[in-house]
Amino acid sequence: MSDVVLNNIGKTYPNGYHAIPSIDLTIEEGEFIVLVGPSGCGKSTLLRMVAGLETISQGDLMIKGAKVNDKEPADRDIAMVFQNYALYPHMTVYANMAYGLKNRGESKEVIAEKVTSVANMLGLEELLERKPKQLSGGQRQRVAMGRAMVRDPKVFLFDEPLSNLDAKLRVQMRVEIRQLQRKLGTTTLYVTHDQVEAMTLADRLVVLNKGKAEQIGSPMALYNKPATPFVAAFIGSPSMNLLPANLDEQGICLSDRLSLPLVHDHRGSIIWGIRPEHLEVVDEANADFALRIQAVESLGAETLIHGTVDLGVKQEPMVVRLAGPHWPEINSLLWLKAPLDHWHVFDAVTQQRL
Amino acid sequence: MIENRPWLTFVSHFSLLLGIGVVALPVWVALVASTHPSSAFGAGEIPLWFGDQALENWRSVFLGEASSGVDVPVWYMMLNSFIMALGITVGKLFISLLSAYAIVFFRFPFRGACFWVIFITLMLPVEVRIVPTYEVVANLDMLNSYSGLILPLIASATATFLFRQCFMTMPGELIEAARIDGAGPIRFFFDILLPMSRTNIAALFVIMFIYGWNQYLWPVIITTDDAYYTLVMSIKRMLAVDQGDIEWNHVMVTTLLAMIPPVAVVIGMQKLFVKGLVDAEK
Repeated sequence: MSDVVLNNIGKTYPNGYHAIPSIDLTIEEGEFIVLVGPSGCGKSTLLRMVAGLETISQGDLMIKGAKVNDKEPADRDIAMVFQNYALYPHMTVYANMAYGLKNRGESKEVIAEKVTSVANMLGLEELLERKPKQLSGGQRQRVAMGRAMVRDPKVFLFDEPLSNLDAKLRVQMRVEIRQLQRKLGTTTLYVTHDQVEAMTLADRLVVLNKGKAEQIGSPMALYNKPATPFVAAFIGSPSMNLLPANLDEQGICLSDRLSLPLVHDHRGSIIWGIRPEHLEVVDEANADFALRIQAVESLGAETLIHGTVDLGVKQEPMVVRLAGPHWPEINSLLWLKAPLDHWHVFDAVTQQRL
Repeated sequence: MIENRPWLTFVSHFSLLLGIGVVALPVWVALVASTHPSSAFGAGEIPLWFGDQALENWRSVFLGEASSGVDVPVWYMMLNSFIMALGITVGKLFISLLSAYAIVFFRFPFRGACFWVIFITLMLPVEVRIVPTYEVVANLDMLNSYSGLILPLIASATATFLFRQCFMTMPGELIEAARIDGAGPIRFFFDILLPMSRTNIAALFVIMFIYGWNQYLWPVIITTDDAYYTLVMSIKRMLAVDQGDIEWNHVMVTTLLAMIPPVAVVIGMQKLFVKGLVDAEK
């Protein structure tokens, strides 16, 4: 049975602002869904509607087959982890974790048992008597997760939980969250703007843009077959090179002097894309085009080369990603080949993949 | 500003000491006068060192043997003052916490208007509305009663305003976390809001207690029965003797007694008081 169903969910604010026109999403039991998008795309609003912190303007929200549109957050059987953790500053870690259970009227013994077992799982045994301000960022994050876990909810909701941590801790917590979720098998909805987090955590990704779900699918499906240029640019780092072009009998015509052969029925203006990691450095004879190098970023394991492609009328920026260290000269030409099977072609008008 | 100039240190210390002297001298004089026979103060020379009557003066004042112009002993008036001051303080805190809670966290029609109406009452302290308030209290048959002493002074726009500001700085996520944890309005108020405004409540408690303790005009007006006289009122009574000398030694003992509770409250709650004024602990 599907766990959480969003059926034609929409949000309109009282001032008439249409934050989310309509979203359909069916989440299976135990699935890890990541909502990802740039800031202001409505991902947090959507999560807060599922949590019950925002009213739902249209559509149905079902959790375990029951419609919960008008239920209070506490009655929806969900637990949420907030960006700033939202721990009660005057309560100890133990009291923080026990508060939800206490309000439900659980007995003291049951609360103690549940809190202790979750604290053991998260390594918080030593910290139970401390106040939140005596904890480090990572520990607070763990307590916030513990508070969500003790309630044994049907759905976990995460609202950018890692954005306040330093980079190293973020990677560590990311792995931890994934392992915990696998172990508990709880359906999870996770909001982030960080595409690395999104790719590594998700069973399925929902890419949101201006309140619309641009594409829903597994991280690899989105990487390999992005449905729109927006998804193509958003997933993957550095993002995909996208160039405006025209499709005709000869193939893809980037400019008067540069065209790439392709047999396709579609005619008209398109957006042609290729990922930086799929471009190959070749000699001049086999090359599709040349890149004038403007900047080189050496990261040791890989090198990012930023440059422009001369299209006659204008210069289009392009990034190439090469394995290992490289030291090409600035302003020199790099001959590149774009293998056909890594092309992404989108209709410029409908923004759909061709 | 970190400077190291000897004369600056001297000047600043000197002016501080001078200030302390100015503030402390009257208290010192009162303390000294309370240990002399009543004639010493009236003789025109103010004694600056302790006399030998301390025990006797304090005892006679405390047990009401000294003629104070009031029929009840000082300890009884002290009790009255306590009941009034505590009643006003607790009442003010209770009412302003509730009204600030309603104004900040609940969406109801004319919410803003309600706040401004409360705020405008800042312009109507007891002194301004004393005649109509007296009328109301008299009609309710509350003259010469504790409720008459306390109730008209309870409404507080200042405290409501301060709590409103304090509540408005509560992080939104915390409120939402409490909602998800199943805390209804009452639970949220007692479990989250009150403990988190602890320091503000303490600070206001100190200010309100002193305000209540020092009330003079209102008690003078509505009490005619000696059983409801407060300590602060009685000092004035003692000065208004028809004939004979004013018993300065007894007046000073009473004055010192009237000073002790506010000082004790300030010292006892100093740490919380300062915390409440400077940081919000969030």
